[in-house]
Amino acid sequence: MRVDVQGLTVRYGDVTAIDDMSFSLSGNKIYGLLGRNGSGKTSLMSALAGYRRPIGSVQLDGEPVFENAAAMRKVCLVRHTADAADKGDKVSYVLEYGAAWRDTWDNAYALELVELFKIPLKTKVGELSLGQRSALGVVIALASRSPLTMLDESHLGMDTPTRYAFYDALLNDFMAHPRTIIISTHLIEELASLLEEVVIIDTGRLVLQEEADVLRSRGTEVTGNAADVDEFTAGLTVLSEKSLGRTKAAMVYGGLDDEQLTRARQLGLELGPIALQDLFVHLTEPVGGKR
Amino acid sequence: MKVFRHLTTTLVTFSAMVAASVFAFVVVVTFVVSAFRGVEISAWNVVTSQIARWFLLWVGVYVIHNQLPIAVAHGRTRREFLVAASGFSVVLALVMALIAWLGFAIEGGIYSLMDWRADEHGSPWAYFLMFLVWCAVGMFCAAAFDRFGASGVFWVPVGLALVVVTTAGIPGSGNLPFIRNVPVLLGSGWHALSVVAFLIALAGTWVIARDMPIRVRTT
Repeated sequence: MRVDVQGLTVRYGDVTAIDDMSFSLSGNKIYGLLGRNGSGKTSLMSALAGYRRPIGSVQLDGEPVFENAAAMRKVCLVRHTADAADKGDKVSYVLEYGAAWRDTWDNAYALELVELFKIPLKTKVGELSLGQRSALGVVIALASRSPLTMLDESHLGMDTPTRYAFYDALLNDFMAHPRTIIISTHLIEELASLLEEVVIIDTGRLVLQEEADVLRSRGTEVTGNAADVDEFTAGLTVLSEKSLGRTKAAMVYGGLDDEQLTRARQLGLELGPIALQDLFVHLTEPVGGKR
Repeated sequence: MKVFRHLTTTLVTFSAMVAASVFAFVVVVTFVVSAFRGVEISAWNVVTSQIARWFLLWVGVYVIHNQLPIAVAHGRTRREFLVAASGFSVVLALVMALIAWLGFAIEGGIYSLMDWRADEHGSPWAYFLMFLVWCAVGMFCAAAFDRFGASGVFWVPVGLALVVVTTAGIPGSGNLPFIRNVPVLLGSGWHALSVVAFLIALAGTWVIARDMPIRVRTT
């Protein structure tokens, strides 16, 4: 599903959460929506899902989404807590809602996921642990099989093994049923291998939109003898450094020219792709507070 | 249609079960009371004229506050939901009025057998209109609070004004704090005013909820 956002603004009283944002997603990819706390991720996703009337234009496959039945049918957004679940309802009842109201709902898959995440069907949503509530949100999102599926930090409450199970389930389901999936997360490195394209926003504005691999190529991890690394990175933009004994790894922002690559070989330095997380930190809070 | 069917099958069934349970309870209470003193009032009339309308109000609140966000989260538009909820409120009021009438019929039989006296009660039409308006006002107030937050309290007097008229045709329910006996003054025009009150409450709900943002729940 193609997503087109043009001049989108979301305000809460005097606070502007999204400020005249424009971008397009070609669709059928797993997108990472990255941003610091309060950057506007939830507001953006809420506008994409028709949860609030947009100022500006939000179109899905060329159709405006807000109060458009045909477009709304194709969207599922699960925010921090499951929107599609009342805390007084049992889990089994929540799945019944999905089956009753969503044409694309896959109940067999929902039950499979419930078993995978060990969510008790007879328990009320309000009595579930934070991790189980998060998992229920993921179940609702994935089982909806919506052409545009959005998860807003839905998996943050899960423990590590459950998150890994979620990543596997997400990837397998995406391979079997390709669609547009947007995930916002602070656990960037955990999800990095799944993301095909990254959208970074900050203070309500688009910072960049890039293929994940292209973004990674914007920087280099330089590893080797500490003194050699220091010599090599002198004058370059170093995002972060880690040392272990005499070995040092430095994340360098920006491409390296042939001369620099030759020098790295001469010094015996290892060059590798940069971590998305380091790039994200750099792009949303560069040294000196200037972007 | 899916939303209407779901609301009707789940909430109407639930409400009917609650009403049946309450009826069984008041029958037992009546027999217990009869052991100590003579029975002179209809216990079921106390329930239907005083308690039931608050239950209908709660259902109205529940439908907008709890079910509307879930419907939108499952890809339904507010318009679709409000159409379904409007139809649902009519069906619910009708079913509850029928249950009230059935309860009076059964209670009347019991009272005759036991030679007890019951005070008069309203017509099924009067209960239907009362339930209809209270449910619609519940939706209206819930929409106001969900949309405007604490400022929704300013819409409560409007809701109160709308429900006052509905109790005119029901003995034992006409007195509200500070506005005692006012409904009696409405005379035979109460049913038309009830219909108007329902339409106003419904229109108010539509105006407020039609483009209401779905906020993140913190609990």
